[in-house]
Amino acid sequence: MNKRNACIIAAGVSVFGERQAHLVDLFQEAAKRCLDDIPGLKPKDIDGLLVATSLGGRTSTQVNTAPVVAERLGIHPTSICTRLDTLCAGGNSGIILATALVESGMSDVVMVTGAEKLYTPQRWEVFYSELNVVDHDWDATQGLGLPPPFFALHAKEHMNRYGTTKEQLAAVSVTNYNFGAVNPNAQFQKKLTMEEAMSAMPIAAPLTLYDCCPITDGGAAAVIACEEKAKELSDRPLVYIRGGAQVALHSVSANWPGEHLADWAHLRLAAKKAYEKAKVGPDDIDVAQTHDCFTISEVIEVEEFGFCKKGEGGPYVASGQINLGGKVPINTDGGLLSCGHPFGATGIRQSAEILKQLQGRATFQVQGAEIGLAHNLSALCAEHTVVIYGREPVK
Amino acid sequence: MEVTGIPLLSNKYPVTMDLWPLEAKEFNKIYEFYDNLKAGRFTTTKCKKCGHVAYPPRIICPECYSEELDYIDLPKKGKVIVFTEQLRGVPLGFEAPLIHAWIDLGVGSPVKRILSRIINCPAGQLKEGDEVQFAVFNVPAHPIEIKKETITAERVFFAFEPVVKKAND
Repeated sequence: MNKRNACIIAAGVSVFGERQAHLVDLFQEAAKRCLDDIPGLKPKDIDGLLVATSLGGRTSTQVNTAPVVAERLGIHPTSICTRLDTLCAGGNSGIILATALVESGMSDVVMVTGAEKLYTPQRWEVFYSELNVVDHDWDATQGLGLPPPFFALHAKEHMNRYGTTKEQLAAVSVTNYNFGAVNPNAQFQKKLTMEEAMSAMPIAAPLTLYDCCPITDGGAAAVIACEEKAKELSDRPLVYIRGGAQVALHSVSANWPGEHLADWAHLRLAAKKAYEKAKVGPDDIDVAQTHDCFTISEVIEVEEFGFCKKGEGGPYVASGQINLGGKVPINTDGGLLSCGHPFGATGIRQSAEILKQLQGRATFQVQGAEIGLAHNLSALCAEHTVVIYGREPVK
Repeated sequence: MEVTGIPLLSNKYPVTMDLWPLEAKEFNKIYEFYDNLKAGRFTTTKCKKCGHVAYPPRIICPECYSEELDYIDLPKKGKVIVFTEQLRGVPLGFEAPLIHAWIDLGVGSPVKRILSRIINCPAGQLKEGDEVQFAVFNVPAHPIEIKKETITAERVFFAFEPVVKKAND
């Protein structure tokens, strides 16, 4: 029997930011926008639900979130109804699993949704709760929760080895903020100049304010369907999930898998596996959404994905190769830096942009985009998750 | 102690808000690591069967799944590869500037590198290549209910600190 093909047919993103809303409100906002994306798609068409949320158990005192979300969304799953927690990669974990469920015939139409409500009545609590998102007893106990210090170390290592400059880091935030400036769902809907980026308040040297994505409430939802159902439910061009991979080689930072901190061996492996599954290579990628939790992340990601040579990420991003008209436009909706980063929602927000790009309806459209890539890293860069989309299925 | 909004927590110990590990033998099987820490030793487990050293300590060998493990000592001195001083967004319980370093424990060490807070170090003093040393400090004790009795579990934790050069060095 031939393998079934899985397509992403609809996606929706809530407004991201400091939201006056409950976690289950954010799931509902996202699901409505997702179903509104294609007329004719109704809750009853959906037979599976994957819910990505990490801090729900802590900041919204709700575990076993999936049935709660299913009920509020009017979805009655009959194939799968479960929650995923891979922090920043929850959304793309869900998309990989939904693809497998659909391809195997276990499910026909699966909603993957993610949301986080991070802002609590008193702000100190999120800074404290974030100590739970890294390997708690071994890394959080060193005062690591929100990750700027860890990524600052990556930036220093990259600067020491390859001569990467602060201006090159700032080129990432300027590019991504300028994409996000017209995104009505982004947390920061403003342009950023190089001068503003270079004179921003220090966070953890060499990272300053605009090098870091913010703390964000928000939700996103997408629907993955088998090809037959996709044709039935949508009139738009089909977008296939060609392949994906998730790699986790370590958890505690002391077990870092690279030769040094600027060497992301686990991302290289995830990229290789995803390229192999999708039967494409770095030169085939027309548009990408790589995990820009920090500017240095995007600099290292363009290297490990093979868009440029190792060590040349700084000059590559600064020369406009990540902008519209460049080699691979990246984070064309603003990315994490401008949109914000509600962990479980982020991978799905990325898929929403790739869906639009491959259907030719993005705000900053990459002309003729055929192949798109989305990527998350999780926690202290402990896990890498890659999904590759295409206008054609893998043959 | 009054807890605003949650009066029922007054004088209670909410473990979900505790930063430090539950180190007592009643709550984990690697308590020997913490006992060693109290004696000033930095240790981890080595497999008696295959010789694999794992960090953090385990109760099974991740290579051969043997349960026969020994605690061995790790180097207590290392060199700073890179470091950063965090000025904003420091978690509750820590103070800015919060200094983090990626430390080289040396070629002979089974654990090559470790990420640690650098304590007892004024801002602006640390440099790449500086020697740092292991340091143990007390962290708050917590209560444990054992049958009808409540005991107090004392705790310590570790970080690294600059090696202070003596005047006559």
